[in-house]
Amino acid sequence: MSKKTIEVVVNGRTHRAEVPARRMLSDFLRDDLFLTGTKRGCETGVCGCCSVLIDGEVIKSCLSLAVHADGHEVTTIEGLAVDGVLHPVQEAFVNHGGLQCGYCTPGFIMTTVAMLNDNPNPTEDEIRHGLNGNLCRCTGYVGIVESIKAAAEKLRGN
Amino acid sequence: MNKPEISNAFTTVGRETPQINAIEKVLGKAVYSADMKMAGMLHAKVLRSPHAHARIVGVHTEEARALPGVHAVLTGDDTPTRMTGIHHKQHRILAAGKVRFIGEEVVAVVAEDEETARDAIDLIRVDYEPLPEVFDTGEALRAGTIEVHDGSGNLACEYNVVRGDVDAAFAQAALVHEDSYETHSQYAGYMEPMATLAWRTSDGRLHILTSTQTAFLQRMRIADAVEMPVSKVRVIQATVGGGFGGKTAEECNSLICAWLATRVDRPVKFVNSRLDDFQGCRSSPPEKIWIKMGVDKDGIIIAKEVKIVADCGAYEGLAGHVLQVSTVRSDNMHRYLKNVRLNGKLAYTNNPPHGALRGFGGPQAAFALNSHIAVMAEKLGLDVVEMLKRNAIKSGDTSVHGFQIGSSGLSECLDQVSDGIGWDSKKTRPKDIGVKRRGIGFGTAIHVSGNREMGNWDGSTVIAKMAPDGRVTLMTGECDMGQGAFTMLAQCCAHELNIPLSQVTVLPTDTDMSPYGHGSIASRVTILAGNAAIKAAREVRERLLTLASEKLGVPKEDLDMANGEVFAKSPAPNQKIPFGDLARLHIYRAGGEALQVTATYDPPTFLAMATPEQYGNVAPGYSFAAQAAEVEVDTETGQVRVLETFVSDDCGKALNPLAVHGQTCGAAVMGIGWALYEQMRYEDGRLLNGNFADYTMPTADSVPYIQSGIVESMEPNGPYGAKGASETAIVPGAAAIANAVYDAIGVRIKTLPITPEKILAGLRAKQAAQDASGASR
Ligand code: FES
Ligand code: FES
Repeated sequence: MSKKTIEVVVNGRTHRAEVPARRMLSDFLRDDLFLTGTKRGCETGVCGCCSVLIDGEVIKSCLSLAVHADGHEVTTIEGLAVDGVLHPVQEAFVNHGGLQCGYCTPGFIMTTVAMLNDNPNPTEDEIRHGLNGNLCRCTGYVGIVESIKAAAEKLRGN
Repeated sequence: MNKPEISNAFTTVGRETPQINAIEKVLGKAVYSADMKMAGMLHAKVLRSPHAHARIVGVHTEEARALPGVHAVLTGDDTPTRMTGIHHKQHRILAAGKVRFIGEEVVAVVAEDEETARDAIDLIRVDYEPLPEVFDTGEALRAGTIEVHDGSGNLACEYNVVRGDVDAAFAQAALVHEDSYETHSQYAGYMEPMATLAWRTSDGRLHILTSTQTAFLQRMRIADAVEMPVSKVRVIQATVGGGFGGKTAEECNSLICAWLATRVDRPVKFVNSRLDDFQGCRSSPPEKIWIKMGVDKDGIIIAKEVKIVADCGAYEGLAGHVLQVSTVRSDNMHRYLKNVRLNGKLAYTNNPPHGALRGFGGPQAAFALNSHIAVMAEKLGLDVVEMLKRNAIKSGDTSVHGFQIGSSGLSECLDQVSDGIGWDSKKTRPKDIGVKRRGIGFGTAIHVSGNREMGNWDGSTVIAKMAPDGRVTLMTGECDMGQGAFTMLAQCCAHELNIPLSQVTVLPTDTDMSPYGHGSIASRVTILAGNAAIKAAREVRERLLTLASEKLGVPKEDLDMANGEVFAKSPAPNQKIPFGDLARLHIYRAGGEALQVTATYDPPTFLAMATPEQYGNVAPGYSFAAQAAEVEVDTETGQVRVLETFVSDDCGKALNPLAVHGQTCGAAVMGIGWALYEQMRYEDGRLLNGNFADYTMPTADSVPYIQSGIVESMEPNGPYGAKGASETAIVPGAAAIANAVYDAIGVRIKTLPITPEKILAGLRAKQAAQDASGASR
């Protein structure tokens, strides 16, 4: 199997690694870099548990090859908190019932971070629409929507 | 339990409280089974049967064995001959001799990595001799049909319950109505597929880290199946990514992984792919339900006859219990019902096995029952909410099956929902006549909080330990599967000791260390483990006060505690002593020991399942719920959209409203999914939609903002009045939606799910009937 050397900045740290050409980004993050916060729920691009940011855009890391991240910046759930201080989206998910079992949570949080970057003041419809690529079985989405509203408000400086 | 007079400035009871492990979850640091790695760890994969019923005549594994990196290729013949299962022990760890459903595990491979294991699976050839198959329950139970299990007649179990004089009551009834309903199977759909890591240690013990709701039941079952003494098997609960009934003692991922670890010298990890999970899971049993009901002129339900035939699939598992619940439980909602005749039959088929799922038989029964009541209310010219309220069981009642209802907020739930959704105005507004038509409907539910069914014990034990720094660690055999059980236990303990929640740690279940517990099933943890935690914390409190009294020379009555200190109340001098000092004092004295308390709460309930009458109070508390749904039906496309829904849950007392609302909303959405579009589609026993693209679970924009209300009926047996709150809300939704669809377009859907095809067919039939009656006039 052909291998390729890639250089990826993950959560601010540069990693050089030799990876098989068919290695998925999710596997690279979880199994090679031990960043297991990124989850696998379907590995077919539907559930969103594996969502990460590449250069600020949210993608499904189970559908993306590790080699495609070469030369790019990847942010995973482990990269959001700064010096132990939660990112406002993380904080909101804690306080507003945005999680129960927590398995979908990293994916929802990464999707939210990207969503609020694009649209700092989304309506509820826009929030729900923006969550189309993520499944949660526990919350019925109410707590997640509330969390995102609260995070948006905090990020806007209110 | 009565509440003693204590000061509790630090309490979180009744306050919105984030889960105690929420921060590790948002940081991505919570460790789920699949996240664990061990040195030398190998990976397992299984080959599943492509036949619904076939004899295994040859398994060719040579090529797979020869593949570099493959450590073991094992078949059913390698597994212990002992059968495994819940009541009926019906299958081996891997299928031997015969397969009985498509997806049954036939061969397992253990290899250096997952890819090699997958490649090896592709190299295995199994020769099957197909056998006649049966998929329909009616056919399965007919004499002369092939048998899934020899000598069974395909009848897995049957329940018959008769109370009162049903025929006389029907004769007296002002209105009698009968009809049939059908429900389909739902997949648990937890986001974390089953995953297990198992290893042996040099002392020969087997350790299993897995995603489970019931660690101790798993230990028992695995030890039995792999033929090891129970004490040599250890099950450790990892962080669980959702369970919903699907991660109890029925799933086979952990069983197979545990056994594989006894066959190779290195740790083995087995992570289900989503397809594995769909094919290997136990989904809810589909049921055909016939109801005949008699009511008096005021709409009081006085007689009921029910016949249910449920599809067990290939192996019984917990499906028998599920059917028992579908058969009897909903009767207990109606206070005047004294005459019932019930029959439930569970049929083996070559469909994949069915079993436990959130609601545990309740949703099936509630769909039929609430649909039926809506029809009868209309025939009587009664408002259905009024009819439901007239029949609603009340606190202090004993139901037809002997349930002693300590607390019932069913009527209050109905009122709250009715107000919340604006029932009166929506009910009376002019009917829509355009393409899109709105309608509104109601459903109600009862659920248990605990259920005496295993041995004659439905207790729960909590160990509370105070460390020399004054912090408390709780140990329990119940599991947190994401619902927040550990947070609830910490809240109870912190409340009793008047300390911040952060001073309490709850350890995940480890069968080597935790006290025995049945686990997180039957909505039992809050009422049972909650009481045990309170009892344990009160004993800790007592010991702290005794020691502090000695130490400070102040009478116990003059002492109180807050924020990790015991202090003398005024007017005594302002003396105090930290918990840590007391915990050390508890050890370091002649005859001392570490401050550790074990407390058990076993509720005053009755093992009705074991008696022929099946009569008695099975649970220390019963939860209730009501739900209204407003839908919009597109008469051109047949699409149904839920515009608004309001669910009220009588959970006794909401110890943590954040968690209760979360459970209610999650359950309600799962109910909407089941009612409208989640369907495991089978063709001759083959699952056609074993992935999330085709098995469509609700997304954020397919459901409305769930409005959730809490009714606090204060259960006398409950910890601070609480009952279970995690399952009730999945029960009423499907009926509420079906009733709303009827209200919108006059078409009654009696077979779930409510698909656009069924809506359009119903509209056509209605039109044809109208045309025919028009023509004949
Ligand atoms: S694991 Fe990537 S979308 Fe589900
Ligand atoms: S919190 Fe469990 S799946 Fe979303």
